[in-house]
Amino acid sequence: MTTPSTRRRLAYGRWTPFWFLAPAVLALFLIGIWPTLFALVTSLRRYNITRPRDGFPFIGLDNYVQVLTDPTFWDTLGRTAGFFLVVMPIQVALGLAIALMLHRPGLGMLRSLARVSLVVPLATTYAVVGLLGRLIFNRDFGVANALIGLFGFPPIDWLGNPTGAFVAICVMDIWQWTPFCALIFLSGLSMVPVDIEEAARLETPSKWALFWQVQRPYLLPGFTAMLILRSADVLKLFDMVFTMTRGGPGAATELISIYIQRVGFRVFDMGLASAQALLLLVITVVLARVYIRFFYREIEA
Amino acid sequence: MNKLLRTVSAAALYAVATFALPMPSEAAEWDIAKAAEPYKGTELNVVFLDRPGYRAIIKLLPEFEKATGIKVNYEIVPYENTREREVLNFSGQGDLSIALVDLVWIGEFAENGWILPVDKFANDATITDPNLNLKGFFPLLLDAFGTWGGTVYGLPFDNYSGLLFYNQCMLKDAGFDKPPATWKELLEVYAPKLTDKDKKQYAFALQSLRGETQSADSFMRSLWPHGGSLLDKDFKSNLLSKESQAGLQYRQKLMEYMPPGIVSWDHAEAVNALAQGQVAMITEWSAFYPTLTDPKTSKLGDCLAVAPEPAGEAGRLPALGGFSLAVAAQAPEEEQKAAWIFIQWATSEAIARAYVDAGGVSGRMKVYEDPQVKATYKFVEPMVASWQKGVPEYRPRFPAWPAVSEVIAEFGTKMMLGEVTVEGGSKEIGNRMEAILKQEGYYDGKKKLLQ
Amino acid sequence: MNPRSRGQILHALGLIAVLVFTIFPFFWMVSSSFKTQADLLASPPVWLFRPTLANYADVFADQKVIDAVLNSLIVALGSTGLSVILGTPAAFALARYEFRGKSDLWFWFISNRFISPIVLALPIYLLGLQLRILDTHLVLILVYVTFILPIVIWISTDQFRSIPRELEEAARLEGASQFDIFRRIYLPLGLPGIAVSAIFGFIFSWNELLYALVLTRRAVQTAPVVATSFMSGYELPWGKIMATGTVIVLPVTIFALLVSRHMVRGLTMGATK
Repeated sequence: MTTPSTRRRLAYGRWTPFWFLAPAVLALFLIGIWPTLFALVTSLRRYNITRPRDGFPFIGLDNYVQVLTDPTFWDTLGRTAGFFLVVMPIQVALGLAIALMLHRPGLGMLRSLARVSLVVPLATTYAVVGLLGRLIFNRDFGVANALIGLFGFPPIDWLGNPTGAFVAICVMDIWQWTPFCALIFLSGLSMVPVDIEEAARLETPSKWALFWQVQRPYLLPGFTAMLILRSADVLKLFDMVFTMTRGGPGAATELISIYIQRVGFRVFDMGLASAQALLLLVITVVLARVYIRFFYREIEA
Repeated sequence: MNKLLRTVSAAALYAVATFALPMPSEAAEWDIAKAAEPYKGTELNVVFLDRPGYRAIIKLLPEFEKATGIKVNYEIVPYENTREREVLNFSGQGDLSIALVDLVWIGEFAENGWILPVDKFANDATITDPNLNLKGFFPLLLDAFGTWGGTVYGLPFDNYSGLLFYNQCMLKDAGFDKPPATWKELLEVYAPKLTDKDKKQYAFALQSLRGETQSADSFMRSLWPHGGSLLDKDFKSNLLSKESQAGLQYRQKLMEYMPPGIVSWDHAEAVNALAQGQVAMITEWSAFYPTLTDPKTSKLGDCLAVAPEPAGEAGRLPALGGFSLAVAAQAPEEEQKAAWIFIQWATSEAIARAYVDAGGVSGRMKVYEDPQVKATYKFVEPMVASWQKGVPEYRPRFPAWPAVSEVIAEFGTKMMLGEVTVEGGSKEIGNRMEAILKQEGYYDGKKKLLQ
Repeated sequence: MNPRSRGQILHALGLIAVLVFTIFPFFWMVSSSFKTQADLLASPPVWLFRPTLANYADVFADQKVIDAVLNSLIVALGSTGLSVILGTPAAFALARYEFRGKSDLWFWFISNRFISPIVLALPIYLLGLQLRILDTHLVLILVYVTFILPIVIWISTDQFRSIPRELEEAARLEGASQFDIFRRIYLPLGLPGIAVSAIFGFIFSWNELLYALVLTRRAVQTAPVVATSFMSGYELPWGKIMATGTVIVLPVTIFALLVSRHMVRGLTMGATK
């Protein structure tokens, strides 16, 4: 077993990987890590930039204590988790259904049209999605009420009541991100070698067996990526909700990042906001680690 | 007379000629071009809002720039982001040379030394208009919008009073030939007759969106007229007092006669509902008058009428709001002086009439004495009446207000939605507010109790 | 025969449903941008109306919107280009070489994508202030690299790993350097994956709002900032807002549609192997 390693040693020098990696590492270090460290230090201080006269004294872990004992923080975190648990399964299910439809042979023209159309929601500016949501879900002149009216439902005051507003932001998020899931699943499906898929189709008439035994393994890595990216994005979700409801009515759509923005850029308590955001980062990293452990072994192997 | 005044205030001159009022600028020489001479080419940076008062000054701006050679760069920012913009700019030695100060920010801006007292410039005759006449502003406005701890920092620029805008046709159809004089009357006599839920018609709309709209327009408006207040004289919460509770309960009762989902309504929705004939009455800022009279945005026509806000048990205490302009301390000295010249011009008696005609609301008393102005603009009389007396601390103007306002906005909306009881919500607001004020040092004698 | 054609009809209906689902809100935005305020506020909403171009005239009379689109273009191209230049060599190293801590390094790259802009906005603001680069394209380009670079590295690493090693044997025998191998073999073959990551990067930076709100003032306002600036809270000019929305969304949508083929193909080669 010496041959491969000797060959590798011949192929490149010890420092070669370093030179390839250095620029990216350096760049992320300077513009990513440095500010994060700054935030870490800030989180240990009383740091309100609207009280410059008080100075920015170190106060140990007070900010973290305040975050952990702040019911609003937990409320918003719970609401964010709830939001994720509502939208994610729907996006995965719809995305998978769409991907399977797009993968199914036949109807070439319509299929490619539908595939291309998936790009539209993805490319729509998040802030504009929120504005659009305000127009669509308006009680008086919104098209949502006109559409449910066709089925005989009375108009709903979507953005004026807590449940309605929560549903409305879910709908807009599902609209925007289902195509993302569909595209990833579609790419997974098209990775299944054609001969294997054909053979399986001949062997079993059951679509379910085909999906579960042949296609599923090819979908898992993409599925993991989707979970990781979507969890991170939901925890960061700000623009769309901010332009659509600003967290209201009451606190019905106040997700965690809306709350942190409020603490950070309204009250300007940057120490507290930094502590909140860093805790959020820890949650995201832990989640990503968990997903990778369960679904995405390749990279570790 | 200089060129600028001639062109800009043509309308004012006309009024003067017609009614033979003494023209203030005739009294002393003020050559703005000469005063601005050393600052020619200076660029001033300021944040503006997308509201009538700013559109009006933007219309008049070319005259100022032509006469003085000073350039004014304005950036239009949504109200909700304005303070964030300015705080970041001031705390980081940014480029703003003029501060736009909402009355509730004056304490914060002044205490942090971000804005300069008027005195610093007013004594320099080379850059000060002899007709500056601070006494010509409504005292309430100068006091509330521009003054902190007895020192004048800003000059009132974009001025509002809460007014009762109503649809007199709807009132007439319901058998009323005048607007309600008291809040009690509004709720008990007017509201039931003006509400027809089947027809989606409602007596009243009170904009209550979470944010400054909830805390200023909805919550505080429910306290003062009923004799309540946010703070007692020791800066402890006064929300559990009988009067405050009565006021907040009143708001819950009045919601019966408001459109559903009122907690998601901002100014735009309330104004639009009146303009489209869906509600009969709103209490809104005077600045909305042009929107409500413009046939492009309003169906009201002659049905629009304006009155002072109804009175409560504690008398008539309408909402008070507005902005002053102040010189930013961070600007270089030359720029500060140029900024001072601009601020004086924008708030001067000389352009007040032109400003009003362009859609602005001047804070100068004189312009409203003009019978022609009174006749043209229906909002003038009730507004002037409202400004005769009022509480400058309608919303406390101390630096802690933004943090307190967030708390009020959250629990105020929850209260309206019934997610917390009026009493429970008041307790919650009180506790959180007192925690904020404690951290500010109001309870251990470190800080003077200014609001 | 019969069940099969029924299946086909269902398939077609399903695809049409997908089309309606994805296009409808977009269609609603575009059609609203051609409505007068009266049509916009009509209840129930009108489907047929006499279109007006007034909203667009309004939007384009305002130099701000055009400037904003240009700013967004510069920032999005700049940050995407920089990320590709920095990211592809790193992805090559991750895909090709064995070294200690590799998976941790990979994860560290990716986790930069997780950092919420809210936590970094203020530090970067203060830093940018000291370096005097606030309100420039540069500061946005650099900041956006922090979340585009991870995507480039992620997708490109997967892509490069799917390239058979035998392809580089010949080059190596000819004595090509590692950099030559990267440039002449991996870059061209990995292009679909790189293109996909670039497209996503472009879309993400085109759409970013929070950093842009904090880090820019007048000179470098980007498209999303301008779109939200119409929500002054006093009057909502829906027609103008929707027209601006259309103007902002259209370029990136057209761009994305043009490259959507690559998008699917690149993901195909990326996510699985």
